[in-house]
Amino acid sequence: MPLFRRHRTDEPEPEMAPDASGTPAPAPTEPPPAPAAAVHVRGLTKRFGHFTAVDNIDLDVRRGEIFGFLGPNGSGKTTTIRMLCGVIAPTDGEATVLGFDAVGQAEDIRRSIGYMSQRFSLFEDLTVEENLKFYAGVYGIADERYEQRRAYILEMAGLQGREGELTANLSVGWKQRLALGCATIHEPELLFLDEPTSGVDPTARKRFWELLYDLAESGITLFVTTHYMDEAARCSRVAFIYEGSIVTEGTPDTLRTTLVNDTIFEVTTGDVDAAIEALTASPAIAEAYLSGAALHVNVGTRIDGPEVIASTLTTAGLEALSTRVVTPTLEDVFVHLVNRERASSVPGQ
Amino acid sequence: MSFSRIRLLVWKEYLQLARDRMLLPLIFIQPLLQLIMFGYVVGSDVTNIPTAIVDQDRTVSSRELSSAIENAGYFTIIERPAEETSLRPLMDGNRVQLALVLPAGFERDLERGDRAAVQLVVDGVDSKTASVASGYATQVIGEWTRSRAEVTGLVPDGPGIDARVRVLFNPTLRSVNAMVPGLVAFILMLSSTALMSQAIVRERERGTLEQMFVTPITRGEYLVGKLAPYVLLATVQVIGVMLVGVYWFRVPFNGNLLVIAAGLALFVFTTLGQGMIISTLARTRHQAQQWTMFLLIPTIVLSGFIFPIESMPEPIVPVTYLIPLRYVLILLRANFMKGSGFEALWPQFAAMAVFAVSIFSAALARFHKRLAD
Repeated sequence: MPLFRRHRTDEPEPEMAPDASGTPAPAPTEPPPAPAAAVHVRGLTKRFGHFTAVDNIDLDVRRGEIFGFLGPNGSGKTTTIRMLCGVIAPTDGEATVLGFDAVGQAEDIRRSIGYMSQRFSLFEDLTVEENLKFYAGVYGIADERYEQRRAYILEMAGLQGREGELTANLSVGWKQRLALGCATIHEPELLFLDEPTSGVDPTARKRFWELLYDLAESGITLFVTTHYMDEAARCSRVAFIYEGSIVTEGTPDTLRTTLVNDTIFEVTTGDVDAAIEALTASPAIAEAYLSGAALHVNVGTRIDGPEVIASTLTTAGLEALSTRVVTPTLEDVFVHLVNRERASSVPGQ
Repeated sequence: MSFSRIRLLVWKEYLQLARDRMLLPLIFIQPLLQLIMFGYVVGSDVTNIPTAIVDQDRTVSSRELSSAIENAGYFTIIERPAEETSLRPLMDGNRVQLALVLPAGFERDLERGDRAAVQLVVDGVDSKTASVASGYATQVIGEWTRSRAEVTGLVPDGPGIDARVRVLFNPTLRSVNAMVPGLVAFILMLSSTALMSQAIVRERERGTLEQMFVTPITRGEYLVGKLAPYVLLATVQVIGVMLVGVYWFRVPFNGNLLVIAAGLALFVFTTLGQGMIISTLARTRHQAQQWTMFLLIPTIVLSGFIFPIESMPEPIVPVTYLIPLRYVLILLRANFMKGSGFEALWPQFAAMAVFAVSIFSAALARFHKRLAD
C-alpha cells in the first residue's frame, strides 16, 4: 500500500518542512462546518474496451489546496479529469466534485468549475476581447461584472491595449495567461489545469505559477496535472498515478522522505545508454535512470556506492567522469515507486 | 437549451467563418465559378457541327431536306461530296462529325409512300457531340417530314424517315436548364458536408471542442450552434445560384418554391448528417477533406448530376439508388421545368425522408459516442 494514503483534516497541516516556510506550521484553527470536499473519489474506474485507463482510484482534494496530480503521459490523468467534469461517464466507482455527483449533476459541476488544458483551447481566429466575451456569455456573466472581470484578466495577463489582437498572433506565454483568464472568468470554486505549462518557457512557467498562487490565495481550489517535477514541489499535496493506479500521495516533502534511507548518486559518463544497461544489470545497484543529461543511480543502503558504480562501469568498458551524492528529488521518488510497482506486477515476485 | 448560448455559438462561428481566408473564396467564388463552368462550358449546347451532305437523289425533296438541315442552326455544311465513299477521309481528318446521305430514289420512295431511307453517319469519337448531333438531325428530319406530310397529305409509314423523337420541356435541349437545378443541390451538399465537417474537425484539432463540454454548453446547444450557420450559409448560396440561373442563364422556372424548399430541407439533414459523420471519422482537417472527396466522387458520377443514369451500364444502375443526390436532382429538375408537385414526386420525397432520418440520427448517435469516449 502507498505510504501516505489518507490525510484527514484533523491533522494540522502535516509534515510541512520548517525550512520551506521558515516559520513553524500555523496553529490549527477551529474546523469550520466542513463544506463538501472539492473532490471526493472512491473506486473510480474507466475502461475503454479491454484497456483500463483508470483503475479503482481514491482521491480527496480539500478546499483551497493546490493538488498536484502527477504521472507520465498516458497514465490516466486526463481521463480522470474528464470523468470529474462529467464529460465521460465512469465505468465504476463514485466521484463528487464540490458536493455534486459527477454523473447525475454534471451540469452543476460545469457551472462551478474552470478547466484549462495544455492546448489552451482559445479560439485562435477570435480576438482577445472576443474570447473573453464568448466565455463570459457561456457562463452568463452580467455586463457589469464582465467589465470588472475583463479589466482584471487583461491586467493579470498583461494584455491591456491588445484586446483587439487576434489570439493566434499572441506568443505562448500570453496565450497561456489569457486561457487562464477565460477559464476563471466566472470565478470558479475549483479549477482543473491539465498540464497547463507544457511547451512554455521556464520564465513564463514561473510567472504562471505566481498567478496560480494568487488564485489559490483567493480561495480557489486548484487541481493541476503536470509531469514537471519542479512544479510538483510547488503543490500543497500531490498524488502520483501510474498505469491507471494511484501509486502514492502526500505532501511533496513527505514523499521525498520515501527515499530517506537510500543514497542517490549523480553520475556523468560518455555512453549513457550503455551505462544504464550495465548498471541496471548489476545486482548491487537498485536503480539507474536518466535524469537530465546525467544518470541517477540509486544504490540503496550500501555505503560503497562510488566503488560499486566505478567497478561496474569499468567492467563494461566505460568510465564515470564524475560521481556525487544528490538529495533525492520527487523524480527520484517516482522512478523508485514506478519500479516498485512494476516489480510487484511481475508474477512470482 | 439556452437560446443565448446558441446565439453566442452562432456569433462565434460567424466570426470564424468571416475570418477564414481559405474558406471565404470557397464559399462565394466557388458556386459562381461552378455556375459559369457548368453553365457555359459543360452545359454549352452543341452548335456549328461540321456536316457533310451527300445528295445522290438531286431532287426537289432532297434539296429541301438538305436546306432544312442547313438552316436548323446546329449544322455547318462543310462539304457536299458526290459519293458516299469520300466521307471516310473527311471523318478521319476530323473535318466533319456528321454526314447525311440521301440515296438516289429518295423522292420517289417518299411519293410512293414507301419507306424512304436516309442515312446519318456520325463520328462517334466524341460520344456526347455524336448523340446530340444525331439527335438534332433526327429531329430536323422528323419535323421536315411532318410538315411535308401536311402539305402533300401523304403519310409515310416507314420509320426510316419519320424519326419520332420529341423532346419535351427542354425543346432546345439546353443542358444548362438541367444543370442549374443540379448545381443548387450540389452546392448545398458542398457547404453543409464539406464546410461543416471541416469546422468541427478544426475545433477538435485545436482543443476548443473539449473545452466546450467542460462549460455549461450542452451537446444539443453545441450542435444547433454549429449546424445553424451552415444551414443559413447554404440557404444564401442556394438562393444566389437560383437567381443567377433564372435571371442570367434564363432557365425557365415553372416550379413551386414550397416543393423545392421541402426537398432541400430533407436533403440538408442528409448532408449535415454526412458532415457530422465525417467529423467523427477524421482526426485532421486533411482527413476530413479526403473523406469528403471519397463521398463526393461517387455522388457526382452516380447521381445523374453530369452523366445521365439512363446511359449507365445495367449493373451500375441499382447502386444509384443509394445516392441521396439522385432523388433531389430528379425532384428539383422535375419541379423546375415541369412544375411537378408532391403528388408526382412522392417517391422521391419518401426516399429522401428515409435518408434524412437514418443518416442524421446515425450521425447524432456517432457524435454522442465519440464525445463520450
